[in-house]
Amino acid sequence: MALIGVLPLEGGSDIEIGHHVQRTWLGMTFNVDTIISTLVAGVLVLLLGFWATRALRKDTEDHVPTKPQILWELVVGEVNKQVEDNLGKVHPYVAPLAISLFFFILFCNWLELVPTELTIAGHDVHLLPAPTADTNLTYALAAVTMVSVWTYGIRQKGVKGYFRHFIEPFPVLAPLNVLEELIKPITLALRLFGNIFAGGIMLALIGLIPLYAMWAPNLLWKAFDAIIGVIQAFIFALLTVLYFAMAGAGHEEHESHEEYLDEERRKKAEAAHADDAAPVPAH
Amino acid sequence: MASLAVTPMADNFLVPNGTFFVELLAFALLLFLLGKYVIPPINRAMTARQDAIREQFAELDEAKAEAHAAEDEFKSQIADARHEAARIREEAREQGAAIIAEMREQAQAEATRIVEHAHAQIEADRKAAAASLRSEVGTLATTLAGRIVGESLDDEARQSRVVDRFLADLEGAS
Repeated sequence: MALIGVLPLEGGSDIEIGHHVQRTWLGMTFNVDTIISTLVAGVLVLLLGFWATRALRKDTEDHVPTKPQILWELVVGEVNKQVEDNLGKVHPYVAPLAISLFFFILFCNWLELVPTELTIAGHDVHLLPAPTADTNLTYALAAVTMVSVWTYGIRQKGVKGYFRHFIEPFPVLAPLNVLEELIKPITLALRLFGNIFAGGIMLALIGLIPLYAMWAPNLLWKAFDAIIGVIQAFIFALLTVLYFAMAGAGHEEHESHEEYLDEERRKKAEAAHADDAAPVPAH
Repeated sequence: MASLAVTPMADNFLVPNGTFFVELLAFALLLFLLGKYVIPPINRAMTARQDAIREQFAELDEAKAEAHAAEDEFKSQIADARHEAARIREEAREQGAAIIAEMREQAQAEATRIVEHAHAQIEADRKAAAASLRSEVGTLATTLAGRIVGESLDDEARQSRVVDRFLADLEGAS
């Protein structure tokens, strides 16, 4: 327990940081609380998704969207636009990935706001902690993202073309370029984790304030945390799209993109601007 | 005893444990379900609505063009009708004028004819009057002269000779 910080506070109450309800299975440790909240968040996202598409499965010519559909269209439309601006087309894998990441992270983050801390038999139990406050989830999402990005880059530019950009503009910079690729998933994961984790600690600290004074900072912080939840989900999804754009930058699919020439040029300019470290290789 | 060395690492919340794989699986499942059953219908609905809106705008433009064409045709027809009306009015005026002129001419001719007829009548009457006068004046004058002269001038031949000479004198004097 040495590395888990336990904040000793006056009055004898301890806040356990990074503590999870754990079970060991097949020689591995599992954070049961994180898994349960992940499932809850996932089920909520799916419910929202199927609620939105329920009306669409009816065979009607009515183009008036339902309310959940409008919510989804807002996100889907925005992500599609971002993907098209950065990748030249609405990629059939990148767009759903970014949309799923956004909604999943958003719901995970917002679980933090649900007051599910209980005291059962003298033990503090947090039924639904934000699963994004556990590095396991954020590492997993970053891993999915970066493996997808690398796969996309190699498929867009070919193995040679993709790995050539590591030694450009100068071979001396290769270690830095490799390091950058490895740092990307770590920053992606730890940024999200840190923000939500800190939010949780803030809520725990506010929880120590006597009840008659607690409500005001609690309300304020939860409102703030709700916005942080949206922003972090947005940043994760946006960075995912941008990493895809960087991985595919400098390559054009000539055969299928004639109509996107102008768009492509603009996109390349943006991508080159956003991506100083990974310069566009010549054909 | 190896577990003692591992335990602090496993409890460090920055180091992933088995949960990582569960999360990986959970997100993969979520991505699959959303990507297969939720996002495509949303995309289709958006595209369908955009198409419908585009179509409606096209229809609107078409209807507008048709309305403009109809309006133009209507206006040109109105103009034609006005033109036609003006032409008919002009024609009527001309016809009226022609009729008036013709009538005037006819009246003139009729008047002339009547006047000429009257002249002829008068001439004929005058001639008749003159003729009758000539015969009657002769008789009357002979009778008067006979009474004055006391001589019968009943002899036809002489009588008419006297009258003719008298008349010839009259005409010669005038």
